[in-house]
Amino acid sequence: MAIVAQSSKFSIYGRPVLAWGVGLMFFFPIFWMVLTSFKTDADAVKPENLIFFTPTLENYLNMTENYDYWRFARNSVISAVSATIFTLFVSVPAAYAMAFNPTRATKDVLMWMLSTKMLPAAAVLYPMIFLAKGIGLYDTHILVITVLSLINLPIAVWMLFTYFKEIPKDIIEAGKMDGVNTWGEIKEILVPLAWGGIASTALLVFIFCWNEAYWTVRLTTIDAATLSKLIEGNRAPEGLFFGRLSAVSTAAVGPIVVLGWFCQKQLVQGLTFGAVK
Amino acid sequence: MSDRKLPRLLQTPAVLLLLVWMLVPLGMTLYFSFIRYVLNSLRRPEWTTPSLSNWRGFGNYEFVLKSKDFVLAIQNSLFIVCSILFLTVILGILIAVLINKSFPGQGIVRVLLISPFFVMPAVNAVLWINMILDPVLGLQGIAVAGINDLLEGLRQMPVLGGFFSLWPEFEPISFRATQTSAIAVIMMVTWQWTPFAVLIFMTSLQSEDQQQKEAAVLDGAGTWSQFRFLTLPHLGRPIAIVVMIQAIFHLSLYAEIEIVSRGNGNKNLPYLIGEFANNNIGAASATGIFAVILANIVAIFLLRMVGKTLME
Repeated sequence: MAIVAQSSKFSIYGRPVLAWGVGLMFFFPIFWMVLTSFKTDADAVKPENLIFFTPTLENYLNMTENYDYWRFARNSVISAVSATIFTLFVSVPAAYAMAFNPTRATKDVLMWMLSTKMLPAAAVLYPMIFLAKGIGLYDTHILVITVLSLINLPIAVWMLFTYFKEIPKDIIEAGKMDGVNTWGEIKEILVPLAWGGIASTALLVFIFCWNEAYWTVRLTTIDAATLSKLIEGNRAPEGLFFGRLSAVSTAAVGPIVVLGWFCQKQLVQGLTFGAVK
Repeated sequence: MSDRKLPRLLQTPAVLLLLVWMLVPLGMTLYFSFIRYVLNSLRRPEWTTPSLSNWRGFGNYEFVLKSKDFVLAIQNSLFIVCSILFLTVILGILIAVLINKSFPGQGIVRVLLISPFFVMPAVNAVLWINMILDPVLGLQGIAVAGINDLLEGLRQMPVLGGFFSLWPEFEPISFRATQTSAIAVIMMVTWQWTPFAVLIFMTSLQSEDQQQKEAAVLDGAGTWSQFRFLTLPHLGRPIAIVVMIQAIFHLSLYAEIEIVSRGNGNKNLPYLIGEFANNNIGAASATGIFAVILANIVAIFLLRMVGKTLME
């Protein structure tokens, strides 16, 4: 009995306190970044101004005036949105084919697709730059969008496949009876039924595109540079620059973190790859 | 066209795109790895354009194997990936079990916890290494200075002062140094990916068989044996997922390594390739081929482990 009484006491007081403690601890670095973004560079490193300080918008004004924040942000939106759409255009039909008309090779094809994700980017970076410069696509939206789509394609096919697999085949077959062709099946039956799954796949791909830094930094200079490039350019190793850095960082991750909050439930379902029910 | 032919053809665009994406750059990497190819050379300008007449055979591979950084980079890659996997799985299970039962504010705690996962990796690295871990200006430096000041004050006390003067001064740790930069990388990536593990484990815990648990309690099973014999086996599949997805992402870790230490004594394979690629494309490509081989070894192992459970 002693154990039972103890554990219930833990449930009432210990669990909430501990859980809130852990939650706040994990959130603290983000909170700290946002807080620091409202300090001047000088205030940001003074111990006496850790918590109490005069808030200022100086860093944000500076960022939009001197660093051309909106151009980077616009490029990020253009590439992430287009790459997400393109990825879905290719992956929805592929996942449809694999889920409803599997062949003996389907399983191996899926495995192979995932294994292309393990190809180290660094190993093929130089040939890519060589090719891109050769065809004159270096530092263009088209190149960034293509690369972002390709690196996310395997994950998208996997996620969609696991969602589509849950849909009873009979429903799709019923459409065939009514004389609907393949495109009709996808457009009128599959997409409405699997809307939740497609939306969460799109979200995850969008987040990965937005956060991608390896390729976007190395395949762009100015014209197609995204927010990750802006961060790269603002990470001077020493000196009084915490306020400025925090403002740029907050502006770069803010939109995606807020989006993530609203969609966390769907995202979690998608990320489990159907292996966790 | 037959009933099933068109539907099956629908996967060809995806397959073809990935095939090109994999084979073309990989083929070029393989080619570059067998020739002498540098970006700048005053003495041998003919080496600056890729050509078969600069054939070097396995020379680039020998050069890479002999460089002292190579073994170090492989060790470091594995050390960093394995530490992150270990920490995120353990922390993920503990936190998932903690927040799985309902308590006031559960929804908010979930939102707070998942946030790090959405942060751009480059921002993650700059944020941690500067504002949190910097030995002077970061929170670490400020905290250590504060503790030292406090101790200094205590030493002035009449009687107890003698006791406190036995205490040493605390030294802040520089996380950009050779010995510690890997730790910093592990710390920041663990912060970012533990939320991912927590959420997957939580989803899985919600489907745990409650009746089985109640039966176990009636049989007198304690909290620990419930966890050990019911919860942990139930988490087998999710653990496999967490390990596989993270391995895919962390084997190619780059931004964090570069931002923390510029690879100072803490190179992993991708970073070493980047370093070679500053001039010696031949050596960079040979290292790239080694990295592909390493990734394939890991991939075969992981896909075997996870693949079966995924396909049912």
